[in-house]
Amino acid sequence: MSSVHSDPLHPVAPSGRRRSTDLYTSQKLAIALGFAAVVITALIGIRIGTSGATLLDVLQTFWSKISGTVPTDRATLLKHNVIWELRLPRVLLAILGGAALAVAGVLFQGLLRNPLVSPYTLGIAPAAAFGASLAIVLFGATAGSAAISLVIGALLFSFLNTALVLSLASTRNLHATTLILVGIALSQLFGALTACIQYFAEDEVLAAIVRWTWGSVNNSAWYQVLALFVLLALAFPYIRFRSSALNAIAFAGDDSAKSLGVAVSQVRLQTIAIAATLTAVTIAFTGIIGFVGLVAPHIARLVVGANHRFLIAFSAIIGALLLVIADAVGRLVINPGVIPVGIIDALVGAPIFLYLILTRQKAIE
Amino acid sequence: MTLKISSLEVGYGKRQVVKGANLTVEKGELIGLLGSNGSGKSTLIKTIAGINSQTKGTITWNGDTDLTRLARKDLARIVAYVPQSIGLSFGLDIREAVLLGRTPYFGTRPRDEDWAHVDAAMERMGLDELGDRAVTELSGGQGQRVLIARALAQDPQILLLDEPTSALDIRYQWQTLEVARDVTRKNNVAAVIAIHDLNQAARFTDRVVFLQDGVVIAEGRPAEVYSPELIKRVYGVDVELSTHKGFVQVHPLSEHGHAQLGLQPATSEPVRAPRLAEQREYATA
Ligand SMILES: Nc1ncnc2c1ncn2[C@@H]1O[C@H](COP(=O)(O)OP(=O)(O)OP(=O)(O)O)[C@@H](O)[C@H]1O
Ligand SMILES: [Mg+2]
Repeated sequence: MSSVHSDPLHPVAPSGRRRSTDLYTSQKLAIALGFAAVVITALIGIRIGTSGATLLDVLQTFWSKISGTVPTDRATLLKHNVIWELRLPRVLLAILGGAALAVAGVLFQGLLRNPLVSPYTLGIAPAAAFGASLAIVLFGATAGSAAISLVIGALLFSFLNTALVLSLASTRNLHATTLILVGIALSQLFGALTACIQYFAEDEVLAAIVRWTWGSVNNSAWYQVLALFVLLALAFPYIRFRSSALNAIAFAGDDSAKSLGVAVSQVRLQTIAIAATLTAVTIAFTGIIGFVGLVAPHIARLVVGANHRFLIAFSAIIGALLLVIADAVGRLVINPGVIPVGIIDALVGAPIFLYLILTRQKAIE
Repeated sequence: MTLKISSLEVGYGKRQVVKGANLTVEKGELIGLLGSNGSGKSTLIKTIAGINSQTKGTITWNGDTDLTRLARKDLARIVAYVPQSIGLSFGLDIREAVLLGRTPYFGTRPRDEDWAHVDAAMERMGLDELGDRAVTELSGGQGQRVLIARALAQDPQILLLDEPTSALDIRYQWQTLEVARDVTRKNNVAAVIAIHDLNQAARFTDRVVFLQDGVVIAEGRPAEVYSPELIKRVYGVDVELSTHKGFVQVHPLSEHGHAQLGLQPATSEPVRAPRLAEQREYATA
């Protein structure tokens, strides 16, 4: 048995031909480049719109807000206001929302050990849709979908749904299959409840509900940007800290992960709570934007590999890029009209996903 | 140092599976855990690894460390576990899959020391030639070797292997058993290996333990405990024993009372497949 090496297993210096290091150069480079790409597409995205704007306008707006100087001529003031109050929040909401949905997607796919899972698998989207519908019925469709009642309704039912899923599945130790099945059941339930509302609703209410479910950043506001930013800033360090535990759960399974020292149930509970919160808050602001949460992690895996240490950050970047670009395209196509980002996202995302499935199946599995 | 399991009881729901098992494993000793399907081997191993929790009894290491009370991370620095079934998915590369074994040692960022353990474990399991292939592209046996390398990278004091050779070709079966024995000796590890091949157990392990219905019914050096009566009792088959190069070997008995080896028996009677009636006899015995 000559191929059995006889060197002791306690290595001081590795004896192999090749020495593994912790460089991960290409991953780090990809993240740096991706970040730059987000900044660039964001600047381009801000310029797009009926009134147009140059890069200089955008930078001048930033400067006048930072320095507190108010432009004296009305045209410039108007331009600055359009950029600051309309363009900037919508682009930032697209960035942060895309990032949040993509991160939630990575977490759900890893925790449930299933590449077909999305942030909506646990039923958050139908629950949010029901909450939003209820708000529209109770407080009127004319309030506009930025109305706080819509946001609160969607949030409330998202959290209710998540709490239900987690407490029901915890009777089975939060087993991945149980979570998915409970999620499917609750999706059906909230879907049916929303259908009830729609069935009895008047046309104008019905239209408002449908408009909400398309998903868009049309009604972005600074408070939404701020809320998502704070949420992501809080969640990110924790997720990063858990990345090796996530690797163990995703790639070794529950039993082995336990034997590798991971408190599986605890990590799963906390991480699902975070992923669900990211999802709930995002769609409370934007409505249901599909696909990003499913596709961004897969695209990211192709580039930086499956290790969560880099996958999470890069998924966030891909998610942000997808939504910023989709929103820009949506504003360009029928200018001065706007196609909701959720629709563009699915239109563009579906072919990409099909391409991935058919050509790079390994990476998806 | 000793791994000592006393009056251990483990169950799933209301059903008891391990029913008062006693077992000691010394440092530097490789124990073969034998027993029929469903006798509780995997359950016992998973309980030592902290995956299942016991309802009664104790598991101690080194006299005073109660393994059942250790924090998971601390336990994982002592005990490594190689699961029976292969559970690898998505596209980690082999190096990163082996690095999972270092999970209990580093936080977010693996240190040089962690990578050194990974390299050593990969070399040991003959994985460095597979390079940076994705785990999903490996054969079942190669995947199994990754799992063993992962456990070795864990640098354990107690090594638990649940049928690690089932998916391997004969070369890697032997190599794996030899690695297990080697690691046991050189690193002074207490090792338990669940295994179905009685002859390989006799050849490679220091001691065997027969588990039946969750209870240890026999233990000792293979040459001393193997007997036709015991094997009939555990597996319900009639066997004959022989000695080959100092190791006890088990052979099934044919209806005529002589052993059916892979080779032709001494008589010139042609080797034939057992008739259905004989197979049924085995199945119901
Ligand atoms: N997760 C589980 N839930 C319920 N019962 C289980 C579970 N795992 C195992 N069992 C039962 O416990 C008993 C012992 O199973 P175990 O896997 O420990 O046997 P084993 O000796 O490893 O068998 P094999 O040789 O087939 O691997 C079996 O009857 C089995 O059905
Ligand atoms: Mg077993």
